[in-house]
Parts: sequence; structure tokens; C-alpha cells
Amino acid sequence: MTDIGKVRLRVPSTIKAGDVVQVRSLIIHPMERIERDQQGKIVQKNYNYINKVTVTYLGKTIAVFDTTQSVAENPFFSFTFKATDPGQLKVQFLDTTGGKYEGTADIKFS
Amino acid sequence: MSEGYSIPRREALKALGVLGVGLAAGGLVQGTAEAQAQAPALGQNESVQDAMKRLFGGKPIKDGAAVIKFDIPLIAENGSVVPVAVSVDSPMTPASYVKHIYVVADKNRIPIVTRVTLAPEAGKAAVGANIRLGETGEVRAIVEQSDGTLLQVAREVKVTVGGCGG
Repeated sequence: MTDIGKVRLRVPSTIKAGDVVQVRSLIIHPMERIERDQQGKIVQKNYNYINKVTVTYLGKTIAVFDTTQSVAENPFFSFTFKATDPGQLKVQFLDTTGGKYEGTADIKFS
Repeated sequence: MSEGYSIPRREALKALGVLGVGLAAGGLVQGTAEAQAQAPALGQNESVQDAMKRLFGGKPIKDGAAVIKFDIPLIAENGSVVPVAVSVDSPMTPASYVKHIYVVADKNRIPIVTRVTLAPEAGKAAVGANIRLGETGEVRAIVEQSDGTLLQVAREVKVTVGGCGG
């Protein structure tokens, strides 16, 4: 469980200016599901799951994923962005316990 | 004597615990205040009809089979990891773009899986995610364009082993 919050970002190895680039991201996170007691009642507690994923490129927000517990464990997300200038692509994950995890990738043109 | 002391102590500890939880929740609200303002708890335990009503009100949803490409396996052997991909054949200019992509699993206890908010800078409306499916049922991809038009594609997915637990 020490791996919680490990973010992996994959961008294509060669990007040309103006390309629409697909990025894949993965984070190690348990995404706790709802638990029920013996009577089938939902256990009320603060479940630890990711509820927001924000993608920023050159300081601008490209995409925001609002997620619920119906998203799989160790969630994977893919998205696209238009590579206009070299710069930093940042993906930030927020979970319900206040955890904040980040992954960055430098976008360079070849 | 020890009996007499132990109960108040237990009570006191319990009270402390409650306080701690309250504090943690307070911090959480602060951290995601923006998200909360946008959608008061997106994922709720409700029926899909309620969820749709809450999200879209009574707005008509058109069939979007012509523009939406919805990739999801027909049979999901393992419901706890089901890859989905939604791409929309639409321009992404500031005047007309895809604003939201929703993924809704009808039979899940929390039907709303994800809501993606896109900016025109995304270049193309194509997103993917791994989701959970509790049981066999329809999964919908709903696209909201910047002018408010709603388009939907639904696909039936057979789930061999459910993944939503509880």
C-alpha cells in the first residue's frame, strides 16, 4: 500500500507542433468501494477514493474528470490535448482524504 | 473503582474520535470546495432515473450514434476493471465544442461513473477510463455540447463477475 499516489503518465515519444496528442495516465490508488454491514446497511464513513482529476497544460485546464466510486481500482484515464507549445503537462489527482498526487510530463517537439 | 472510571473515559475517547472525524471532514470540504460547489456529491447511491434527473433535469436527450464512438467490451469477464473509451466526432473550437462527457452505468449502485469537463484546447473529444460494473446492464455515454445539446449512446454489457461489491 505504500505505492498509493504513484502516478504514471505516458505521452508519445515524438510529438510535432500542432498535433492532437493522446496521453494515458495511471495512478495507484485503492478507490475504496462501499461497504455494507450484516443487515446490508451501508457503512457510513469517509471512503478513500479519487474524486477529481485535473489536467493542465501550459497553465490552462484541459480536462477535469469528476469521478465516483464506480471507477476501477488503480484508475486509468486517457485524454487528448493539442500540442501548441513546448511546456509542461500536469495531471493532478485529488482524493476524498485530502490526498493530492501529481504527475508531470515535459512536452518537447522533435 | 476502575469500573466507575472506565466508562467516562470511553465516552470521552469516543467524543474525541467524533471530533477528529469532524475536523477531517472540514478540511476535506475546504480542499475540494470548488468541486463541491459544482456538483453536490456527484456519486450518490440512487437509481439511474434519479441520477439522470439530477444531472440533466428534464432535458431531451437525442440519439448520438452518428457522432459518438463508444468503445466498451460486450462481455466484461471481470466487472472490477472494464475499459471504456468515448470519442466524439465534433469540432473543438471555442464556439462549438464538447463540454461534458458523462459515463453512466445503469445497474451500478452509484450510477454516475464519471463526468469529464473538457476545454476547447483538448483538440479532440476523446477520453478513456477503467470503470467498475456491478452487474449486467446498460452503460451509457452522454455528451453535452457547448450549446447544451445532449446526445447519448447506450450499450449493453454482460458482466460475468461483478465488481462493485457491497
